[in-house]
Amino acid sequence: MNAPNRYELFVLDDGEKALEATEDTKIPNAATFKIVKQDHTLGNMLRAQLLSDPSVLFAGYKVPHPLNPHFLLKVQTDGSIPPATALENACTRLITTINTLEGRFKREFSFKDVDAGAAGPTVNLGVPDDPYGGGGATAWGAQRDYLDF
Amino acid sequence: MEPAVRIRQLGKDRVNFVLENVDLAYVASSLVFALLIACSFANSLRRVMMADLPTIAIDLVEFQANTTVLPDEFIAHRLGMVPLLSSNCDEGMRYTRDCTCLAACQYCSIQLKLDVACHSNTTMDVTSNHLEVTPYGTDYNDMGEGEAGDEPSKRGEYFGHPVGKNDPDASPVLLCKIRKGQELRLRCIAKKGIAKEHAKWSPCSAVSFEYDPYNKLRHTSYWFETDARDEWPLSDNAKEEEPPREDEVFDFNAQPRKFYFEVETDGSLGPQEVVMQGLAELQSKLAKIVLALKKTEPDMVAGEPVPEVAATDGWGNGGGWNSTNQPATNTGGWGASPNRGGGGGGGGWGSGGGWASPSQPATAGWNV
Repeated sequence: MNAPNRYELFVLDDGEKALEATEDTKIPNAATFKIVKQDHTLGNMLRAQLLSDPSVLFAGYKVPHPLNPHFLLKVQTDGSIPPATALENACTRLITTINTLEGRFKREFSFKDVDAGAAGPTVNLGVPDDPYGGGGATAWGAQRDYLDF
Repeated sequence: MEPAVRIRQLGKDRVNFVLENVDLAYVASSLVFALLIACSFANSLRRVMMADLPTIAIDLVEFQANTTVLPDEFIAHRLGMVPLLSSNCDEGMRYTRDCTCLAACQYCSIQLKLDVACHSNTTMDVTSNHLEVTPYGTDYNDMGEGEAGDEPSKRGEYFGHPVGKNDPDASPVLLCKIRKGQELRLRCIAKKGIAKEHAKWSPCSAVSFEYDPYNKLRHTSYWFETDARDEWPLSDNAKEEEPPREDEVFDFNAQPRKFYFEVETDGSLGPQEVVMQGLAELQSKLAKIVLALKKTEPDMVAGEPVPEVAATDGWGNGGGWNSTNQPATNTGGWGASPNRGGGGGGGGWGSGGGWASPSQPATAGWNV
């Protein structure tokens, strides 16, 4: 059994860096970030947030291979800020939005708390439906059984 | 524009909510991209709720007796699928991989036992209700216990119990059927995990996610025989939006505004906990990136040169140890001069080089 542990797909190894930045040598103000142990959840969200920044000219991400748990995020800016700053700004803006959203959710949930039980899943209180077909209620025959010697 | 949330229905195991205007702080800059943000954010929330929240599930099964018709592996697999109450599992338990114990202990696992035998003439259902949470006693102490922690105190009363146990309204999970003379006796170790490792750790049984029920944005195209509108029923969410007029021109700048979510959990976590933890998990993912950015590339992030190491680092060239040609400037550290703060006096660290050779001029022990 030499299969790697499943959790290696989402937990950083000892000393492994969550992020590696490589500056692009041919394009000005461009960098590629290798973000390790993350997937489309983060990649797509960051890319979209980066694109909304007016100083970002290009942002794209790819998962080079589905078996390798990392994605690459390419960012090019117009030069007013370095790509890493753009990425950091995108992250902080998203965190702020999620924070607001968290507050909204908290408030909404507190309003709804009262009728949580009432609106629960409807339970059929009539004939108990048996998802397993009969519930083992039928006897094999009370008198004889092959185990009765 | 501020994001808004409207919970339409909240039940014991499900929540139905609408997310509106999730285009973020940067809306003004570009309308086209606001669409991308909203979609991708809503989708990330869906993904994180399904795959990234920790719960507990049976992971190891030790069979002591199995005379049922099902083989051990079959039953072990079924046991793994049983949802267990995992409220506040984030703090109430550690991952076994982070625990210092040998195999499993009370801090990183829950022990459940099942012991049934059929003595009647009817078929007996072995269900999840027969699983009993058993505290670790003396019998398995040889496995070694991890470093003590306060995790167990953060667990609820029924932490680790099968969902719906002894609830007359809930039908239990059927594991196996046994007849007279058959027996099933086993010990399970439930561990904490996330659904990326195995889907049994997912707190959600279904997360549905929809926007634009009338397909006004034409993000999809419907297959049809004669008329798509006749053949494709509208979802309930269509009541929330204006139907398109007959003569409406396609607005290619339009963007989705409302996202309809229905989160249904398997009972291991409540719907509220799933949503709130999902948002928290997204934040922590982003925070990790920010932290990693700050750690790795200070020059790229801040756009300023890396500070001169030699001048400040106590261990390197400017420090006490190995360099002989040091500048005699008394740059400080702790006790370098008695009149600089009352701290170190004339103490060992700074003055005279501390650990360094006594012949050195008084340079910094630590940083300036």
